[in-house]
Amino acid sequence: MKIRVLDPTNETRLSAGEAAPRLRSLKGATVGFISNGKEGAKEFFVHLGRMLEHEHGVAKVVHRVKSNYSAPADRHIVDELRQWHAVVTGIGD
Amino acid sequence: MQLASTTYDVDGFAAVQELYHANGWTDGLPIVPPTPDAVAACIEWAGMTPDQLVGVEPVREQPVTAEKLAVNAVMAGCLPMHFPVVAAAWAGMLREEFLLHGTTSSTGGCAVLIVINGPIRQEIGASGGFNALANSDRATAVIGRAIRLGLINILDVRPGGIDRSTFGHPGKFSFCVAEDEEDTTWTPLAQMRGVPQGVSAVTVMAAQGPRQLMNEWTTVPEEIIETFAAEMRANQRHYSIYGGNYVVVVPRQLREHFQKAGWSKADIGRLLFERARIKRKEWGDVGKGAVVRDRGESVYTALSAPEDALVIAAGGPAGGFGAIIPPWMGHKTRAVTVPIGVCVDCGPQTASSTAGSR
Repeated sequence: MKIRVLDPTNETRLSAGEAAPRLRSLKGATVGFISNGKEGAKEFFVHLGRMLEHEHGVAKVVHRVKSNYSAPADRHIVDELRQWHAVVTGIGD
Repeated sequence: MQLASTTYDVDGFAAVQELYHANGWTDGLPIVPPTPDAVAACIEWAGMTPDQLVGVEPVREQPVTAEKLAVNAVMAGCLPMHFPVVAAAWAGMLREEFLLHGTTSSTGGCAVLIVINGPIRQEIGASGGFNALANSDRATAVIGRAIRLGLINILDVRPGGIDRSTFGHPGKFSFCVAEDEEDTTWTPLAQMRGVPQGVSAVTVMAAQGPRQLMNEWTTVPEEIIETFAAEMRANQRHYSIYGGNYVVVVPRQLREHFQKAGWSKADIGRLLFERARIKRKEWGDVGKGAVVRDRGESVYTALSAPEDALVIAAGGPAGGFGAIIPPWMGHKTRAVTVPIGVCVDCGPQTASSTAGSR
């Protein structure tokens, strides 16, 4: 006997936006880091920032830390990142 | 009733199980086939429409409609009469202060605890007696499961996907309890949190697993509280030091001592607020000395305020036990209380709006 059943998944997804154009070079760029604030992220991002400056010619590194590591970045950080050429984010646990 | 979900015509019950398991649409247990008739019956019972927006998950901007909640509720085993509780719980979970994305994606691995209050408990047979925090009855079992299946299917909260839990805990199958309002003189939790008397409500909280305690060797309220406070302090030392909502479950045997001494839920909250606190240097006693730093003398309370203790009457009639249910991560998430099927402080388009959240 056939049973008709319904799809339980969310079939009406909203647009998730699109990725910004990729940079051709990091030379002279301003790169922002958005840390979730956990212990593992802090030193790693500082080290990565130095590498970008010394080895890839990044002009300026900006470090920002979210006020809640489980929530989206704070509004002021999102507003500020428009001034950066590239953003690095991720979790450290 | 016009439903929008994609339909599948499947060759029998066993094939339905295989289809849903193969697509990652289950929690590993068999499901009830969500037929259009069964789903429509849930939506109709709740006085909703299929496309009614219960809310939008604020981080990933995913809409949550009555139809999709009903599909998952039927799969969990819900009858139509259970569905208003499921919809109200989701309305609470979608409130910003619940931090749904953070709580369901975290490595911390919490579950959504649902506490049911009011007349609807008896209408649907939700029990707060024997085995209250586990499989005490049909209603709480399927309502709790409906929440989890909805998370999996509507918001992709699958293990290894959005759900990054290191462990999780068994409450992630189903974590729902009804307060035992008949066998206590205490004010029900929902009324403590601003819902009018006689109105049914759910309280949702991102919760760790229950930690059971025992003290059947005293009738003195302060001594009983001390055992609860010690368990909360242990959680602060071993898990998270930060203050937030703690559910405090008190069964009849211990309730009788409190009630005989004239202690209310608020009295319990006030003493727990004073007693459940540690200094940061205590982390050094349990192997966490590396993060004490220069703040060893700083005091951390388990409750941000006395009202953060969500005291509920539940459990079998015998046994000098108690339980605390810690928050996922301090005050980063807040418990939310939602009236069921009524509009307490909202306009006509928000029948599932909330009251008493804090």
